Amino acid sequence: MYDLLLLLLQIGIMVGIAPLLQGLIKLCKARLQGRTGPPLLQPYRDLAKQLRRESVVSDQASWVFRYAPIVYVAGLLGAAMLVPTVSQRSPLGGFADAIVFIGLLALARFALALAALDTGSNFGGMGASREMTFAALIEPAIILVLLIAALPRQSTNFSTMAGETAFTIAGLLAMGAMAIVIIAETGRIPVDNPDTHLELTMAHEGMLLEYSGRPLGMVMWATQVRQITFIALSVALFLPWGMAPLHDPSLRQMVTGLVAFLAKIALIGVVLAVIESSVAKLRIFRAPDLLGLASVLGVLAVMATYVVSP
Amino acid sequence: MTDVVTSPAVDLQQLSGGELLPSRVPGETRVVVPLVTLPRACQVIVDGVGARLATMVAQDERAETGSFTLAYTFAIPDRRWMTIECQVPADSPAFPSVTPLVPAAHWYEREARDMFGLEPEGHPDLRRLVMHDDWPAGVFPLRKDFDPSIPVPRVEADPYRFHTLHGDGIVEIPVGPFHAGVIEPGHFRFAAVGEVVLALEPRLFYTHRGIEKLIEGKSLDHGLQIAERICGVCSLSHAVTYCQAAEQILGIEAPPRAAVIRSIGLELERLYNHVGDAGNMCAGVGFMVGVAHGARLKDELQRLNEQFTGNRFLRGLSAIGGVRRDLDVEFAAQMSLELARIAREFGELTAMILGSETTMERMRRTGILPGDLARALGVVGVGARASGIDLDTRRDHPYAAYRDGETARRRDGKTARRPDGQNLPPSPAVGRGAGGEGYSAVGRGAGGEGHSAGGGEGFPVPTREEGDVAARLLVRIDEVAVSFALIQALIAEMPAGPLIAGWTPPTTDAAAFSATESPRGENLHWLRVNAQGTIERYRVRSASFPNWPAVAAAAPGNMVPDFPLINKSFELCYACLDR
Repeated sequence: MYDLLLLLLQIGIMVGIAPLLQGLIKLCKARLQGRTGPPLLQPYRDLAKQLRRESVVSDQASWVFRYAPIVYVAGLLGAAMLVPTVSQRSPLGGFADAIVFIGLLALARFALALAALDTGSNFGGMGASREMTFAALIEPAIILVLLIAALPRQSTNFSTMAGETAFTIAGLLAMGAMAIVIIAETGRIPVDNPDTHLELTMAHEGMLLEYSGRPLGMVMWATQVRQITFIALSVALFLPWGMAPLHDPSLRQMVTGLVAFLAKIALIGVVLAVIESSVAKLRIFRAPDLLGLASVLGVLAVMATYVVSP
Repeated sequence: MTDVVTSPAVDLQQLSGGELLPSRVPGETRVVVPLVTLPRACQVIVDGVGARLATMVAQDERAETGSFTLAYTFAIPDRRWMTIECQVPADSPAFPSVTPLVPAAHWYEREARDMFGLEPEGHPDLRRLVMHDDWPAGVFPLRKDFDPSIPVPRVEADPYRFHTLHGDGIVEIPVGPFHAGVIEPGHFRFAAVGEVVLALEPRLFYTHRGIEKLIEGKSLDHGLQIAERICGVCSLSHAVTYCQAAEQILGIEAPPRAAVIRSIGLELERLYNHVGDAGNMCAGVGFMVGVAHGARLKDELQRLNEQFTGNRFLRGLSAIGGVRRDLDVEFAAQMSLELARIAREFGELTAMILGSETTMERMRRTGILPGDLARALGVVGVGARASGIDLDTRRDHPYAAYRDGETARRRDGKTARRPDGQNLPPSPAVGRGAGGEGYSAVGRGAGGEGHSAGGGEGFPVPTREEGDVAARLLVRIDEVAVSFALIQALIAEMPAGPLIAGWTPPTTDAAAFSATESPRGENLHWLRVNAQGTIERYRVRSASFPNWPAVAAAAPGNMVPDFPLINKSFELCYACLDR
């Protein structure tokens, strides 16, 4: 019963709050750039609009294009359910494995890249090629970051990994890697630009160009869920303060956990907005340098775990 | 308008081997050559004196002389013009192509082929340029026997063949003519290996409105209404160029006060374009703060335009013979203060852009246009000046208040001052603290000595040698500083007097041309009226016309996602290319 409630809460947070976080980041960016910006709730309106609209599918598209959004959404929602948010306990308990998490993300990404290639549109192909290039570089970093968190507890279960305070040398290095992972996985400047209309420069957005209406709304929503998932993961691994304990939390502890979680993701959202407003996008051939840095930090962190820590 | 035959003119005539004709504008040497020697004559002018092909005008004169006329007009480095003309017989409408010897002629000759059916023999690329595939063969809209009131049935034809590259891993990327953003239509065909551009072929002319045909038979006044609408962001430049060509024909001159008001308007046009473009270039690299503030300052300048002329694009300011609106002393003082504030804020913006290392890293060594290539293509404006070519119509062929400001003022006597009798504050220098890597230096000639309103030798023309995106940004920034200072100087020394000179419609056949420096570079309008006082032929060569091929030339070797940035750094116009 408790697990079921926790799961419902998790769905509410991840699916319900993801657009709000997106709205917060957009609003912060606008204010930092001296613009009024869209209202905080605009992403909800955008999603509502897209989900009501009819979908136009290219006559060149096959079933891959039609079913890919379902796999994408399922993969990302699945991954979102694994991450501990309010309490250290993951709502899916025994399934909440770091390797499963990485696999689900890879599955979602693969499905969308296939769909982007399916229509034969150039921008889809270019977007997919860039997204997969970035993915090949960023996935090792994610694995290493999760490994750092897994090593001290000797478990890759998120419920066990969460809540470890991370102010060790290894933890700090892993935090640096995680910061780069978040920027890359949320498709933000300096790696990708989520707000651009320049088709030739797009990575993630390029893959969505052929979608319209309800599938587009679903994919946009799932991408917002992916963003909040990564932020939640970094919070669980590196900023665990205020999380409700693994077993038998009181209501008070749960409320504290919820408030703390919301405050932390909002803070990270603001930091992302600051980064996006203060630098330009990297040249496409320089982006791998930054992504490679994440892996290097990860490797250093693993080494530090063994060399520095007993 | 016949110029005195001076000795340099005779030199040019001898060089070209042609027969001297009466010149149409001061400083023009005009010769006619036999058809067979046309390419050679053009080549000796280009190679011999370093001339730049400024325009080429084809005319259908079959009714009068039984032939077509081609006139290649060159800008000579010593600030004169040279026109080489020839007759193309009506029964065999073909001429030897100049393009193999003078590459800058390539689009002009293709356009003459599409619009007049004149075949350039030996031209390396005889595909359609202006009229797309669905236009029927053998219908030439600028011939006099073409009636534009009858709709032309469109035809099915072979699709346009792009130049393709074949090889392992080479992919073709078609982009446009519809784009994800709200911009003008244009198709770009890339050949790329991975993310590296091997070749780029633009296909443009999707916004052809037949303006040159439309204007034929209209009165000079009516023609201005059309000329002003060739393009949005260079409206005033086009209007002033047209008015100056008409004034040349009428033998009148705008009064000094009108000349100053025109110059103020033209500099305001340059300002809102350059300021907006500096911000827009940041969009190409995803530096969103620069985009937002560039857009804000551009809008403030456009609001100032509206207060000044009633139109955000400065439409309706220029009229044949002068201007329609005065700039009263109070508003001039208000504008001066407003501009000083915007100049200061633009200084802050440029300091922020130049100080953003990630932004400048993207712009440096991106989209390099080599100087010799720019010369060969006859590139004008910011694109030319950023590649080390020292040209600016305001200095080289001065007009309006860029002509010797001193003489104009002396002739008129009085000068206006601010209501409190004080001199206007000098425009603050553009701040550019953290440029780094040699970009912090002020471009050659831009800063330092006080800017006088007068054109001629002392007119500051910022240039740079690098030819990359960063150089084009820096040239714009330097030009903005010049424009701010220029407007302040013009406001401070406004001559009194009438706003417009009277004129009557012409009663003889006459032709003239005029050039202005629009924000995108030299605009050249060629105008001919007939004895009925209506327009016989109008040829618009906007700055975008010679510059578009340069965009294609600057792209290879760069990354595909850098192309939007390169394109923005040239910031060319589709509408005034297509007309």
